[in-house]
Amino acid sequence: MALVDRYLHAVKFWLPRSQKDDIIAELSEDLHSQIEDREAELGHKLTDAEVEPILKRCGSPMAVAGRYLPQRSLIGPALFPIYSVIIRSLFFFFLLPWLLLWIGIVTFSPDFRADHSGALFATLEPWWLACTYSLFFNTLVFALLDRSQARSHLVNNWNPRALPAERDHNRISRNATIFQLTVVVATLAILVQVDAFHRVFHFFGLTITLSHLWPYFIWAMTALNGAEIALACLNLSQPRWTRLSASLRLGLDLYSWGLIYLLFRANLLQSLSGNDLPSTQAVKLVNSINFWTASSAIWVLVIGAVVVVFDVLRILRVEPRASTMSAETPAESIDGRRERDGPRDTPHV
Amino acid sequence: MPPSTETFSDDRFENLRQELRRGSLPLAVLAELRTEHYGYTLRKTLADHGMAIDEGTLYPLLRRLETQGLLVSQWREEDKRNKRFYRLSADGKLILKQLLIEWKSIHASLEDIF
Repeated sequence: MALVDRYLHAVKFWLPRSQKDDIIAELSEDLHSQIEDREAELGHKLTDAEVEPILKRCGSPMAVAGRYLPQRSLIGPALFPIYSVIIRSLFFFFLLPWLLLWIGIVTFSPDFRADHSGALFATLEPWWLACTYSLFFNTLVFALLDRSQARSHLVNNWNPRALPAERDHNRISRNATIFQLTVVVATLAILVQVDAFHRVFHFFGLTITLSHLWPYFIWAMTALNGAEIALACLNLSQPRWTRLSASLRLGLDLYSWGLIYLLFRANLLQSLSGNDLPSTQAVKLVNSINFWTASSAIWVLVIGAVVVVFDVLRILRVEPRASTMSAETPAESIDGRRERDGPRDTPHV
Repeated sequence: MPPSTETFSDDRFENLRQELRRGSLPLAVLAELRTEHYGYTLRKTLADHGMAIDEGTLYPLLRRLETQGLLVSQWREEDKRNKRFYRLSADGKLILKQLLIEWKSIHASLEDIF
């Protein structure tokens, strides 16, 4: 019966101290009764090989002991959904973008790799720390909440009327469209006001000369603003995303972020001059500004890529029937609810 | 194609079956302990009535019911071995009566639904 004793010893290890002997005595009695019955059936003493299936059927020592323990969890089912949402949000909106940025910089910036050669992964240390601390402190706070009065307050004090309205991903906020329209018109007005189509500007005693590419950029930006105005008008007349409007949004965002990227890479600043600015210092300043904008272009690409991903997701989630809703009145959505103003669901230029 | 009911014996059925039986176990145990039993004979008697229950489930259940005051237990020697005998307490008898009424009501409701 050495096998049974070893089994009981293993179960005993996991049991609460105060009940160890009692539980083991009872379990031992049951196992010995089973073995006796089996021996009576077979007419001989059981071998270890014959005892083994009895113990296996009883369950692993840890599982058997676990059934005697109260069910315990660090964060119970009442708070776990909130905890899960926070952890996922932290990951997808903070830690993952951070990691992707790091990968982007490491991949596309030879200077960064050269500066940290031999200790490239050490530059990820803040990321690891952020992961560890955010997970640890969130878990700690929720575990404490779960054991405090706050839990019952959170779970029991709720009001159906205070629940957030159902989110309509395909609705275009009228306020956001009007805001966007205002910004675009204001930008156009500023471009005209400062006569941005020229290459030479005079500010505060400084003469700034831009590259010969500048006028092309301004024309491209003017065309973009015109298209933005057209799309905003379309969205005002039909405040729901359709395949057409969502695709136009994607096209405009691709165009605008591409344009900004080229703008950053184009060494736009040609020269600076001023009475109080020595020419050698002016050249240094021009070079520094052009270098800084060129090396920041990667960030433009990363942000643009995120915007484009949101745009593509928007196209994918447009219901096919939404494109047939053109006759719908602007103030009313598909299910008849009145249009409510709110923030736009995804970023775009 | 969905499986036919004759061959339907996957994990989903097994999980639901166990859940159904698990809910009835305390009632079966309380009812059986109107007469005194120790763990092993209680298990055998329940199995004979078609309510097989493994030791890993029965003993923690007995302990819980005893903590709730529905059972009383006593260690006694029988056949040269110490055994823990369980029987229904006075509170247990009252609760069992109420549970049986509840169970009959559930049974009748289900019959009505079916």
